[in-house]
Amino acid sequence: MALDTSPESPAPVRQIANAIGGWIDKLGAVWVEGQVAQMSRRPGMQTVFLTLRDSVADISVPVTCTRFLLDSLNPPLVEGASVIIHAKPSYYANRGTLSLQARDIRPVGLGELLARLEQRRQLLAAEGLFAAELKRPLPFLPTTVGLVTAANSAAERDVLENAKRRWPRVRFEVAYAAMQGTRSAADVVEKLQRLDRDPDVDVIVIARGGGSVEDLLPFSDEHLIRAVHAARTPVVSAIGHEPDSPLLDLAADVRASTPTDAAKLVVPDVVEEQRIVATGRDRLRGGIAALIHREQTLLDALRSRPVLADPRSLIDARRDEVTSLRDRARRTVGHALDRAADDIGHHRARARALSPLETLRRGYAVAQDADGHVLTSVTDAAEGATVSIRVADGRLAATITSTEKTEPTKDDADD
Amino acid sequence: MTEDSADKNLSYEQAREELIDVVRRLEAGGITLEESLALWERGEKLATLCQEWLDGARKKIDAAIQD
Repeated sequence: MALDTSPESPAPVRQIANAIGGWIDKLGAVWVEGQVAQMSRRPGMQTVFLTLRDSVADISVPVTCTRFLLDSLNPPLVEGASVIIHAKPSYYANRGTLSLQARDIRPVGLGELLARLEQRRQLLAAEGLFAAELKRPLPFLPTTVGLVTAANSAAERDVLENAKRRWPRVRFEVAYAAMQGTRSAADVVEKLQRLDRDPDVDVIVIARGGGSVEDLLPFSDEHLIRAVHAARTPVVSAIGHEPDSPLLDLAADVRASTPTDAAKLVVPDVVEEQRIVATGRDRLRGGIAALIHREQTLLDALRSRPVLADPRSLIDARRDEVTSLRDRARRTVGHALDRAADDIGHHRARARALSPLETLRRGYAVAQDADGHVLTSVTDAAEGATVSIRVADGRLAATITSTEKTEPTKDDADD
Repeated sequence: MTEDSADKNLSYEQAREELIDVVRRLEAGGITLEESLALWERGEKLATLCQEWLDGARKKIDAAIQD
């Protein structure tokens, strides 16, 4: 898309620079092959400036990369080395300069190497050697751990130390093999098969420290891959660092990123397991103890309730009730009796006042005939009749011998 | 099945629940003396039963912790 500018309406530099920047960005990230012509590393600068020359034509392009990337290269980059670089072109508008920003730098020759590996991978994969269903689980607690590694190498130490820390009584059967160079693959295969034949060995670790792609080539060797595939015992591949992934990683039953990681995979952290079991047991005991304590407390509370602890309280309540009822009853009865007594006293007094007893006491007497009628006139009784005479303290029986009428006094006459 | 054997297969929770009910009724009152005595006796028996359950459990645990 061309910019329509003209002498009359020219575009400002910044617009042109931005346009150029835009077009350049369109190229995106590319893999470039070339030779390192110049490398300038200025102290204190985080960026390193290189010049990459075409391997055939006399054309070169400036390349920038971070000091970290450059230092991480193994083998280190030297001037004149032919490399392939993964970079994105970037245009610095203010100075109008262009350079390729490198993200990954690899020595040349690597290309066909990687290509050949990739091709072998596809071939073996097609044969099903890397099939997931072939992967065998590792034993939880191996009797003996087989280890194929270089004599007193860092890898060996990492595997042994880490495994022992996790499970002090782990037993190893170490088979030293060349882990570098052309003999390496064959040597590893031989040691692998020896350990595989050993019935005590429940798992085999093949461990090696980091290295360049070339160093790790033996661990993509077809012969080794087939041997691992044929092995009866589960195999753990622990080659190089995290990013390294030789074909052995695909053939092995388990891929460990590093030798230390392999130790963690083949041996459980028994110390940790025991701690977990112990904690579980403690929590179990704590829990049941708490439960019993809670129930016991409740039971004690229930038993201490007065109705249970002191049944007499039941009886006392009723006894008090009965006592108070009895007292009330007595009081009530008492009052009634008093009132009755007064009443009687009253009546008696009246009766006494009316009763002739006082009169009799003063010497009078009342005469009654046999039928009990009171004699008020001489005519009431005939001579010879028996009469009863009531005196104060009793009765006299008498017979009428004679009667004599006397003159009634004046005031008696009007009775 | 006499009352005793019925008690034997009372679960701990059943015995505890009945005990709580007995105490509640005794405390509520309004029952005859005879009923109160009967309830009180029942309460005592249930409490003993519960205690036996707890003692048994504790013995089992102590034994387990020993070995």
